[in-house]
Amino acid sequence: MNATTLVNGVLEGGLYALVALGLSLVFGVLRLINLAHGVLVVGAAYAALELFDLLHLGPFVALPIVIVVAALFGYVLQRVMLTNLLLKGPESGIVGTFALAVLGEAAFAAAFTSNGVSLQSSLATTSVKVGGVTLELVLVVACAIAIACAGGLQFGLKRTRAGSVLRAAAKDPSTAELMGINVRLVFALTVALAAALAAVGGVLYGVSTGFAPTSDTSLLLIAVAVVVVGGVGNVTGTLVAGLAMGLAQAVSVSLFGGGYADFTIYVLFFVVLIARPKGLFGQGAF
Amino acid sequence: MVTTALSRAPGRLALALPLQRRGAGALGALVVAGAACLALGDVGGAGVLSLGTTLFAYIALAQAWNILGGFSGQMSLGVGAFVGTSAYAMALTMTRLGWSWPAGMAAGVVVAGTLSGLLAFPLLRLKGDYFAVGTLAATMALDAWFDNWSFVNKSTGVSVPIQAVPGQTEMYLIGLVVALIAVGSAIVMRWSTFGVRLLAIREDDLAAPLLGVNVFGYRLVVMVVSGMLIGLAGGVFALSLVSFVPDAMFAMSWTIEALVMVVIGGMGTVIGPIVGAVAVYYGITTELANFPTLSLFFEGGLLLVVVRFVPGGLWPFVVRSTRWLLERRGPTVRIARATPPPSPPSPPSS
Repeated sequence: MNATTLVNGVLEGGLYALVALGLSLVFGVLRLINLAHGVLVVGAAYAALELFDLLHLGPFVALPIVIVVAALFGYVLQRVMLTNLLLKGPESGIVGTFALAVLGEAAFAAAFTSNGVSLQSSLATTSVKVGGVTLELVLVVACAIAIACAGGLQFGLKRTRAGSVLRAAAKDPSTAELMGINVRLVFALTVALAAALAAVGGVLYGVSTGFAPTSDTSLLLIAVAVVVVGGVGNVTGTLVAGLAMGLAQAVSVSLFGGGYADFTIYVLFFVVLIARPKGLFGQGAF
Repeated sequence: MVTTALSRAPGRLALALPLQRRGAGALGALVVAGAACLALGDVGGAGVLSLGTTLFAYIALAQAWNILGGFSGQMSLGVGAFVGTSAYAMALTMTRLGWSWPAGMAAGVVVAGTLSGLLAFPLLRLKGDYFAVGTLAATMALDAWFDNWSFVNKSTGVSVPIQAVPGQTEMYLIGLVVALIAVGSAIVMRWSTFGVRLLAIREDDLAAPLLGVNVFGYRLVVMVVSGMLIGLAGGVFALSLVSFVPDAMFAMSWTIEALVMVVIGGMGTVIGPIVGAVAVYYGITTELANFPTLSLFFEGGLLLVVVRFVPGGLWPFVVRSTRWLLERRGPTVRIARATPPPSPPSPPSS
């Protein structure tokens, strides 16, 4: 077990945290595990791929466009679909988002074949040496972006007016409605923000790891695991849990070989879910 | 005294008769349907036999999911876990121990039921979304494990010895029996005091224990029964596929098929999953057999449309509309036969 593996594992954990932030947001505000979250992440990566094919935009140039498209998609999704499902009860939410996941996976497979692809960037092949440890540059960037996103989200939720409106809507939608908050709008904007975060995670994941139409299930489970470990709606907890998950995966890979990388995540997830359903760090902002 | 009266459930006597009568009626209908399927197998050719076998297995799969998801309200995304373990148990006992297919299938059912019972202890502590994601994680973990476990040939997979696989006619009969067992179990659960208590748990799992219903015990039984039924269906799939790999047997597609069939047909009803299985299998799967992606696309789309616009599923919708049409067409006849008691004068509206 060498230092390079472990440090890169932690950095990759930053990517997991990034993917999990959006899920955590939706889970905390709408009380819904969005089973289509992995599809949003993979969809963003495919959107970046398409932008490269059509306009020859590099992934990081395409990123702002992808973010805007994802946010719009998330907004429309919530307005048209999810609100109505959630009003019918939690079972409809599970079935509806599961249907979206199936639909998305099939659509990606139809449009882009089921082969794995990755986003080309010079960043992906560059590494830096810091004191005998070789860091993959793309993971460093991903981790930095994850920390920035988590910091921004934490600040936005706790220190701004929009954040307190959102927290009020999450805590008690009907009372918030009475206080003049447009809860449906807040919910739609929440999903838009979550989709935007998923898009950032998706593009970075596409550059660092590569993806296929079926990547969404393991991404979803990793994200749920991170959210569960970190505590629902707990932004700092999510970040720490993501890094820890990356480290745990790196340790297991160096002990048991690469085949068990995903197995570790699922088992870890299972153990935490059973032992501490409210997460290791407790409920967060909501 | 009060508690005894309550735990004896005063409604039991009142419920018992019509419930059991309806259950007996449903079982009678099932026997007739089974005999019809048997006759169809006799007159139908090879195409009917092979289509029928798969359809029966899907009906069993859908009904097993329905017992857990519809009757008990636990939405499982882990159908593949039980299909996979059962198929593997069957293939391994048949190849390595030389067992016949009935013994192998029994082993598969026992293993799937045991797994279900073991998973119930951690999983039943979880609610709603968490339960769904927990079952998904268990399935993915099993898939990842079998992919790397040399005892089960890793990702190369295993196969049922081809000479031990029964012929087409026998396969049709096996499928039919498996489907009858699954539907029969659903009927027994639906129209019994067991089913009524299950419904009470599904509707309000905080109030049910106050009425003396053992929430965990009932859910445990349902999970084990559902797991065993999925194991039965998995045995049929294993026999028809002959050789398989972990990624196929622990796949998400089993969950997708079962969930789509049940939700489209009508979750929590006995006939709904059968209607859904027939509709999805004949309407989508066989029509688009050469375009698996397109088939998945249609299934997801249909699921979305149904859950958005026909939330109860197709069968309850058909029943409702038929009843509505009948009541609209013949009100005069009914009034002529039995005059309803005069309704009390409505209070002035202002």
